[in-house]
Amino acid sequence: MNESSIADLSGSEPVAFNAALAEPFNVLIVGVGGQGVIMVSKVLATLAQAHGFEVKQSEVHGMAKRGGTVFSHVRYGARVWSPTIAKGEADVLIALEWAEGLRWLPYLKRETGVFICDTKRIVPPFACLNRRPGATLRYSGETAEQVAAYVAEGYAIDATRMAEELGNERAANVVLLGALSTALEFPLPEWERVITQFVPKKSVAVNMAAFGLGRSWIAEARTAAPAAEAPVRPAPVHTPYAPRLEITAEWCKSCDICVKLCPERCLRLNAERVVELFAPEKCTGCRLCEWLCPDFAIRVHLDAEAVPEGITP
Amino acid sequence: MNVVDTRRAKPAAKLLSGNAACAAGAIAAGCKFFAGYPITPSSEIAERLATLLPRNNGVFVQMEDEIAAMAAVIGASMGGVKALTATSGPGFSLKQENIGYAAGAEIPCVIVNVMRGGPSTGMPTRPSQADIMQSRYGSHGDYPIIVLAPASAREIYDETIRAFDLAEICRSPVVLLYDQVIAQSSETVALGAAPAAHAERKRASGPRETYKPFAVGADGIPAMARPGDGYRTHTTGLTHGEDGFPTQNPEAVDRNLSRLFTKLDHHRELIDSWETVRCDDADVVIVAIGISARAAKRAVELCRAEGKRVGLFRPITLWPFPEAALREAVKTARAVLVPELNLGQLRHEVERLLGRDRVEGINLINGEPIGPAQIAARASQLASEA
Amino acid sequence: MFTDAPNFDIRNYLRMEMMPHFLCPGCGHGMALRALLWALHELDIDKDKLAVVSGIGCAGRLSAYIDANTFHTTHGRPLAYATGLALARPDLHVVVISGDGDCLAIGGNHLIHACRRNLKLTCLMLNNEIYGMTGGQVSPTTSETRLTTTTPLGNTEPNFDACALATAAGAGFVGREVTRHVPKLKELIKAGLQHPGFAFVEVLSDCTEVYGRKNDMGSSAEMVMRQKSEMRPSVYRDSVDTPFRSTDLPTGILTRNDRPEYGASLRRAAALASKGAH
Repeated sequence: MNESSIADLSGSEPVAFNAALAEPFNVLIVGVGGQGVIMVSKVLATLAQAHGFEVKQSEVHGMAKRGGTVFSHVRYGARVWSPTIAKGEADVLIALEWAEGLRWLPYLKRETGVFICDTKRIVPPFACLNRRPGATLRYSGETAEQVAAYVAEGYAIDATRMAEELGNERAANVVLLGALSTALEFPLPEWERVITQFVPKKSVAVNMAAFGLGRSWIAEARTAAPAAEAPVRPAPVHTPYAPRLEITAEWCKSCDICVKLCPERCLRLNAERVVELFAPEKCTGCRLCEWLCPDFAIRVHLDAEAVPEGITP
Repeated sequence: MNVVDTRRAKPAAKLLSGNAACAAGAIAAGCKFFAGYPITPSSEIAERLATLLPRNNGVFVQMEDEIAAMAAVIGASMGGVKALTATSGPGFSLKQENIGYAAGAEIPCVIVNVMRGGPSTGMPTRPSQADIMQSRYGSHGDYPIIVLAPASAREIYDETIRAFDLAEICRSPVVLLYDQVIAQSSETVALGAAPAAHAERKRASGPRETYKPFAVGADGIPAMARPGDGYRTHTTGLTHGEDGFPTQNPEAVDRNLSRLFTKLDHHRELIDSWETVRCDDADVVIVAIGISARAAKRAVELCRAEGKRVGLFRPITLWPFPEAALREAVKTARAVLVPELNLGQLRHEVERLLGRDRVEGINLINGEPIGPAQIAARASQLASEA
Repeated sequence: MFTDAPNFDIRNYLRMEMMPHFLCPGCGHGMALRALLWALHELDIDKDKLAVVSGIGCAGRLSAYIDANTFHTTHGRPLAYATGLALARPDLHVVVISGDGDCLAIGGNHLIHACRRNLKLTCLMLNNEIYGMTGGQVSPTTSETRLTTTTPLGNTEPNFDACALATAAGAGFVGREVTRHVPKLKELIKAGLQHPGFAFVEVLSDCTEVYGRKNDMGSSAEMVMRQKSEMRPSVYRDSVDTPFRSTDLPTGILTRNDRPEYGASLRRAAALASKGAH
């Protein structure tokens, strides 16, 4: 490990970049499918290649499609042997999604690693213990402050919102590239040239703006406040509600479709052979019964004011 | 010398076929929609209107078949515009189900049937008067319908206008029934100025909550809602109640159907139309329509020249049949002669009204019209016997 | 999604005095009607300017339940009635509801010519593969070998692919969906309603009482579930997302083109003619 290779983000001038790195420099880029992880990785690899380093880039993608885990290892230096980064060996961990960032933290160098993470939360379906929105999620509960204790340098950056404000949510990865650029020694025009190669012609302008925003955000965060206290947008909270079924009994023809197709199995026909909700606590308000009732006997209301117990926003 | 400017004093005279007069009458009546299907001998109506309607803010469409043409005409009328279709025997047969729909759902529309020889394809270019019964009873079930039987190009023009007026006032299909000879012969016709105003159907008015699509006043005709006017009604060929929705409640069905079957009775003064020629003292009255009536008119002249007292009764409105007028016309007659181009359809109705004793027919079904001499000979004979 | 966002109360589009409707328990036509009304709601189509024209049969009866200007016409002819209505009143939204017998057998001629003409109309053909109202006779879409009251030995006639027919006849928009996917069906109908020409939407519906029972297809719920389990994505078709029924019918938007709309062409020609006349 070559300490001089890590840009010192604490305020003084970054250490001079050494083309003859004794040890490879390791950047791990993670996120979920569709966010642009591979694009970040390609930009970095191309840059390093252009600077005469040996580069190894390995990734897992494709099997994830949209929404699944995607990661990419980029290693560069005078000589690079292994294509992947071992646990505890990443110089920079850059994450496009909050939980994915936390998942890969063990790969970061404990003493010196730099953690740059979008606060964007994409909740995977399997983190939904209960399909009722507003119910407890098995999604990481760690706050940015808690995470700060684990890393040498950490930045929780709301890149997605910044990109949104620029008019293109998809440029969030380039905001992060901007943040990353402050940690590496490649000259600014090089970054811009390579990024231009990798983004669609129509969106060059917005991506350049996103890149600039990422850079200036890091600069501000560095001078204004300790990294861990960088503003973190609270994760989106689903408005808690209680589903309520309005059943028009005289329209129900006992066809049983709602009972058999309810994913939560919370409906049944009562003694009069009219549908009733017998397990309201299981109902997620998914509306399938409303949609499939051929007789329009069910209407699902999602009452916002009644918050059932046990739901943590 | 007194000079009269004839151009100003007389309406412009034109040489028109019966079919052309029909198209001109439709435009004059405010018809805005025609849907049809080519069929001899009525196609000239469609051809004329294909040119005239687009220039008069209307729509012409040639449909895929006779049934579709009838359906499209009813559809257009449901949308609130005056609509017409024209056909001949085979097409008229195909249209019958939907004519029944128009009668039952009370949708105004005009159907021209230019009669040709039958049955089946028959004689497409030859005259016939064999759709007299089909025009009245062609569709299934009991229903009211108005059938007009003009006998000249000029009368076709007038009766086409009247057909639209009656359709609108009575909310009923109206059939314009004439034969191939009148349809395709050209005559000098002096058309009057187009009437300034036409009858329009009674439209729904007042608040939606109190409007009932088939509730009626004394005239027996319900006010019709037009899509877009906010009434959002239902129209169906099923038996329906005053609210327009299907019902099989015996009382509601009976109330609406009884009203439907008698609704034309309230408007007989408007509907009934006939011509009498020298019936006042007639020993023999000829009853005829269309081309046969024209021959009969000549026959009356021939008989009168011989001193025989022969008259003519010509229903212009064929259905409902002008019974009272017929009874009046035959008051002095001891014999009634019904010449027609079929095997006795008109005679059947005349016999129904007058009994069989004094009624006889002259029937021709070979594709030729009946000549005046043939009618005059028999009428003269009958007058002598009398 | 997590608020009461759909905000669609079907009762605002129903004639409440007519409810409950007359369809048998579990009939798929109810879901199709919901999808149609939902689509109309999302497109904010004025009920006063909406005309629904239907034919005869179970599907034909649906128009009576819609709070709009509705016309329940004769067997097979709703497209012809609608053609007259739409030509006379281009300001109206005209929707046709027809069944497989109504649309493909007795009304087949009107269907192909409506497709060819490309007049702006939206035609929903609710295909339950049977003449339900008359007691379950074989229809032009009944799958081969199926038992019906008029095919006691099993149906030996091949059936129609209505969407292929409509496409071949020149319809501007052709799509197909199953009733089980009500939101997808709603979206398909919406796309059809927004299409500037003739839109043909085939809805694969279930007749539980006379067809399902006769062919041992199980309960209503089982028939609805079968719609999904019998579908197989096929690699042989262009579309990636095309679930298949046992009859191998692709779903989704199958045809969309911008052939000239008939009514507009007619009005343009009329305007030119009127100008020339003066």
